Amino acid sequence: MITAERKPLEELIEYVKPYKRILLLGCNECVTVCAAGGRKEVGLLASGLQMALLKSGISIDIRQHTLERQCDPEYVEEIVSMIAGVDAVVSMACGCGVQQLAMRYKDKPIFPAVNTKFMGASERQGVWAERCQGCGNCLLGETGGICPIARCAKQLMNGPCGGSAGGHCEISEDVDCAWQLIWDRLKALGKEESFVEITPAKDWRSGGGSGPRKIIREDLAE
Amino acid sequence: MQKSKTLPSSDKVLVIGGGLGGIRTALDLAEAEKNVILVDKDHNIGGLMTQLDRTFPTNNCDLCTISPNLSESGRQKHIELAALTTVTAVSGEKGNFTATLKTAPRYINLEKCTACGDCYQAFPDCVRFTPGLDHRAPTCMRYPQATPQAYSIDLEKCEDVEALVKICPAGAIEPDDIGRNREVKCGSVVLATGAELFDPSHLDYLDYATKADVVTSLEYERILSASGPTQGKLLRPSNNKQPKKIAWIQCIGSRGIQKGAGSHCSSACCMFALKEAMVTKERFQEDIETTIFYMDMRTFGKDYELYYQRAKNDFGIRFIHSRPHSILQPEGKDDLELSYTLEGDANKITENFDMVVLATGFKVGDDTKALMETMGLELNDENFPRTTGFNPVVTSKPGIYTCGTLQEPKDIPETMVQASAAACMAAKDIATTPKEEKDMVALIPERDVSGEDAKVGVFICDCGENIGAVADVDKLVDYAAKLPGVAVAQAKGHGCSRESMEQIQQTIIDEGINRVVIGGCSPRTHEAKFQELIRRAGLNKYLLEMANIRDQSTWVHGAKPVKATAKSQELIQMAVAGAIASKPLSEHSLPMNKDVLVVGGGVTGMTSALELAEQGFKVYLAEKSNNLGGVAKQLRKTLEGDDIQQFVTELIDQVMAHKLIEVITGAIIVDHNGMPGMFSTGMQVGKQMFYRQINHGVTIMATGAQPNRPEEYLLDSHDNVSTQIELQTMLEEQPDAIKRWENVVMIQCVGSRNADNPNCSRICCQNAVKNALRLAEINPDTRIFVLYRDMRTYGFQEEYYQKARAKGVIFVRYEMEEPPQVQAAGEKLEISFNDPILGMELKVKADHLCLSTGLIADKDSTEELAMTFKLQRTHDGYFLEDHVKLRPVDLAMPGFYVAGTAHSPKSIRESLVQARAAASRAQTMLVQDSINLGAASARVDSDKCASCLICVRACPFDVPFINAEGYSEIDPAQCHGCGLCASECPAKAIQLMQFEDDRILAKLEKLFDGLEAEA
Amino acid sequence: MKNFEPVIVAFCCHYCAYTAADMAGSQRLPYPANVKIVRVPCSGKVDALHIVKAFEKGADGVYVAGCLEGDCHFKSGNTKAARRVEYVRKYMEEIGIEPERLEMVYLSAGMGYRFAEVATTITEKIRELGPSPIKSATAGQTGQVAC
Repeated sequence: MITAERKPLEELIEYVKPYKRILLLGCNECVTVCAAGGRKEVGLLASGLQMALLKSGISIDIRQHTLERQCDPEYVEEIVSMIAGVDAVVSMACGCGVQQLAMRYKDKPIFPAVNTKFMGASERQGVWAERCQGCGNCLLGETGGICPIARCAKQLMNGPCGGSAGGHCEISEDVDCAWQLIWDRLKALGKEESFVEITPAKDWRSGGGSGPRKIIREDLAE
Repeated sequence: MQKSKTLPSSDKVLVIGGGLGGIRTALDLAEAEKNVILVDKDHNIGGLMTQLDRTFPTNNCDLCTISPNLSESGRQKHIELAALTTVTAVSGEKGNFTATLKTAPRYINLEKCTACGDCYQAFPDCVRFTPGLDHRAPTCMRYPQATPQAYSIDLEKCEDVEALVKICPAGAIEPDDIGRNREVKCGSVVLATGAELFDPSHLDYLDYATKADVVTSLEYERILSASGPTQGKLLRPSNNKQPKKIAWIQCIGSRGIQKGAGSHCSSACCMFALKEAMVTKERFQEDIETTIFYMDMRTFGKDYELYYQRAKNDFGIRFIHSRPHSILQPEGKDDLELSYTLEGDANKITENFDMVVLATGFKVGDDTKALMETMGLELNDENFPRTTGFNPVVTSKPGIYTCGTLQEPKDIPETMVQASAAACMAAKDIATTPKEEKDMVALIPERDVSGEDAKVGVFICDCGENIGAVADVDKLVDYAAKLPGVAVAQAKGHGCSRESMEQIQQTIIDEGINRVVIGGCSPRTHEAKFQELIRRAGLNKYLLEMANIRDQSTWVHGAKPVKATAKSQELIQMAVAGAIASKPLSEHSLPMNKDVLVVGGGVTGMTSALELAEQGFKVYLAEKSNNLGGVAKQLRKTLEGDDIQQFVTELIDQVMAHKLIEVITGAIIVDHNGMPGMFSTGMQVGKQMFYRQINHGVTIMATGAQPNRPEEYLLDSHDNVSTQIELQTMLEEQPDAIKRWENVVMIQCVGSRNADNPNCSRICCQNAVKNALRLAEINPDTRIFVLYRDMRTYGFQEEYYQKARAKGVIFVRYEMEEPPQVQAAGEKLEISFNDPILGMELKVKADHLCLSTGLIADKDSTEELAMTFKLQRTHDGYFLEDHVKLRPVDLAMPGFYVAGTAHSPKSIRESLVQARAAASRAQTMLVQDSINLGAASARVDSDKCASCLICVRACPFDVPFINAEGYSEIDPAQCHGCGLCASECPAKAIQLMQFEDDRILAKLEKLFDGLEAEA
Repeated sequence: MKNFEPVIVAFCCHYCAYTAADMAGSQRLPYPANVKIVRVPCSGKVDALHIVKAFEKGADGVYVAGCLEGDCHFKSGNTKAARRVEYVRKYMEEIGIEPERLEMVYLSAGMGYRFAEVATTITEKIRELGPSPIKSATAGQTGQVAC
């Protein structure tokens, strides 16, 4: 899932203050699941923005809506009638959703309300952690199901480094050393030998090193 | 108000005593559609518990939990409640008793009293209201939760009766009330009067009678209580200063210690002293020192040992194993001087304390004793009623049962269990009446209000000046009439009087009202009443909102009438908004399957099965092994001398012969689904593992526990080391061999009260005493040593402990840090231990070493069962009941009950009580034809649901799940209606019925609209 | 703002605080009329949105009243409510409302006097803080329109 966090109100106020009517648009996918941009957050932000603006003597008509998914053109089409009545749109979706809107509604200012953070997993209620960086060439099969790219601060292919101590990364006590995790897991699987195998340098082109990526499924693509 | 109803004779049970036990018995019976007369000598029911500040082991106030119990008993149509009433005689026989009831005058007509409080305001001295401010205040909750919800007058204290009569706006005061005497017929009687507390006034060395700072534990509860005489401030009665050092002295009036004390142990005092000390510590931390002087810490109940450890280790409560000699207060000094000695040291220690709390035990009251004598019950030496060995709720007289502290001193959970068991027994002796025709007039069909514009009817009570004398009711009516959506606004004198209710009903029908607002008192007490009213008027009962302008406005802003009126307007405006947003809700109901599944074929499961089968229910009794009987088959005699083998054999025969019981042995439960009232459980049966599915409405878990067998003290590696169970068998089978034993040593707490198994196994002390007594009987010359940590012979068992000591059994205390050492010495065993009194190490060469190994939960099997049935367990693998204090038989999953050692270690006698209690609790559900699941549940809008799992994780009861369609689903049958899921759902896909977001927001909006209008 | 009368919304759990308020009533314990109660089945039912909306509509203060620790009828509703209140207080800071205007309080059903005490202290505190900045801003706005 893509995770995100709401931007500070201060920043959002700067975006919206020139306008009279705005649409605050939520997304019922990833950002709902990580409690950043679903129906509820839309309501909270609308109310918060309204109050913060009022304090600066500004009164804006804030309309609220939440789409099933903002990163699909068909869903984005749904708001075509609403768009006409507003001066700008503030999207609570991830960067993909914001861009989808911007592409569809070319003459309407579109602003992001959240900072898109990472592809992560839910550790427990209210806690999400980074797990994948979309490198395009998955090596989890070799590393016992733990990704050194997303979870090692240095993205080492052959770890750990000298900063690993007591299972923690040197950048913080709160961060597990990914290579320690990999070792523990390989040991549990009885595959210690694959730990000592040297992984060659990674070809980062599949990870965006050669520009924006695209997937085309020829059988589906029209 | 409770209407007195004439019930046909001999189909009812007379329950004497309206404390927790009596209430539970009455409720169980009434819920099982049996008729009850509940009498209590006090003017309100509730008994002793309502006087307590907090209760162990949760240290919660728990009054919020008990108060619904109290008012429930007022509501039940099968209960006739007779307060201020004593029973003067009971004659006749089982099935056909005649009891003489004497009711003292209340001087208040219950039909008319609205509990407005005007009389109390004007004549506080002669009105028994006791909201909790005076010393003998029964409880902080006696009002507003009191049942019956009415005042009572102490006419002797009234100087101007005429003025008192006049003050009542409802005309409810009747000074000519002379009370009444009457005879009632009943089929059986349950004596639940409870025991009294020991009065230590005559014990001059404790100086309770003259020193204000020496208080009993109950008085200390009142001092701690938020609504006690000091409003919860802990102050020394002598000088109103906060004490710094408090001592508790245990066993006052118990264990035959003092003059006039009973020879029994009062069972609950160790726990309540711990609780009082902990609550004190919790509040004052380092500012206060708490010390408990004790003989044996008897924390033998479920998880009580952990509580004791917490008191010691986390709260820093000091424990001194000593019985203080005296309490003195030197002339001119504030402090109390306590003198005592320590073990192994003859020197007297004197220590000063600010307050001393005497942990007073239970004794039978003189009134109760006289009543039992009138009834012709056999009493024991302590005047407690004699009861049957395997069924302690049965007295010597058929048809008369007992429960609670009157049966034997005990704590609240055990009282609750016994009360349900008494209900089970009493129900069998009364004539069964065919199910009553619903005595309600056929209701007019519910009107469909969908699509209609809101037409709100607002009815405002003046509540006999409670509202009217402060707020301007006419102004409120005018204001309400102008609110958008309001069709009718009217003032009503007493909205809840029968006359007003009829008028309101007619207005709703005549004016086509589709939403109703009552401006008056609290929905807590009156919502149900008005819901019924609007239903009678053809509206869905959920189209109602109450504005609590009495409790929240006129009562608290009496000095500021203008503000009170303004606030009442706002409250009414909010209520109107809420009513407009209200939606008709349907209560879910399901057909009830009346069959029962009992899991576990030990004595507990068999007893539950038999009781239910005798009441006409089909029972499936599933047993994992190939035989019925369980652990009891290994046991011989109880402490009291009853023959267990004979009992088990007879019980098995009865169960096998009963045509309504189907015994399924070799049954392994593999799956389970459905909801309360219509469960379905799959099991693999017999050698072929043939799969079978049982449909049932309720389930009783009676899976037992297993004898513990830790590898300690050469158990299983030396021939002359045994457990108590094995020793018991030897005592029966080879008395001649045993006769030759010179020395026998028993070690207590083997495998219990340690790091692996922190709890007390409860049964070991009594078993050691039992076997020691038998050994001494076989050969009086055998030297018997019992090495113990605390002797926990609670209740009447204390007498056997004293008897064992008198017979020369040597009891030596050891500390966990310094356990006895055991070495093999050929055939014999050498046991060395420290004797704290002699202060030296002793060595005994024993012919036999017997270990008290106790019970442990069969963790593997309870874990699997808990997973299959979705039940909760304690950390040590016993099933966890719904409420450890008040619902010790019901599991959190409705329709599931627990009994016997599957709940916690207990004796056969105690297991059988719980078996009957479970049968009683199960009947309350089984008599229903359908199950009403209420309407206040959370609902998911699957169009909005993002399947994020936040509700699944947020629910405290694990109800929501992601269904096959991929959306969250909340089973209304299991939803408790807290709304946590609704408030956390990020997609706003969940709404809690009756508290929907739009309803709450509408109220907020209108509150501020109203304010603007005023401005 | 001399005779400022704050408006305070109290979200009260049915099982404790609401009962305590009734108790205060039956004992005739006076407290300021500024406090308006909204009954909820559990303090954990109080949505962050309800609190924020109350301020938006014009509340000068809000408090959520739940059961004493360990006493929640639904096990953990009160502790969740407390966490939510903390979260909303931070949000209020962002919006520019003093977080002291929102509080979590714990009561048992028997604490009538404590209910009155809490209502009084909170009202006094809010009175000292003055009108909510949102309310003042709204008043300013309508004033402008009137000009």
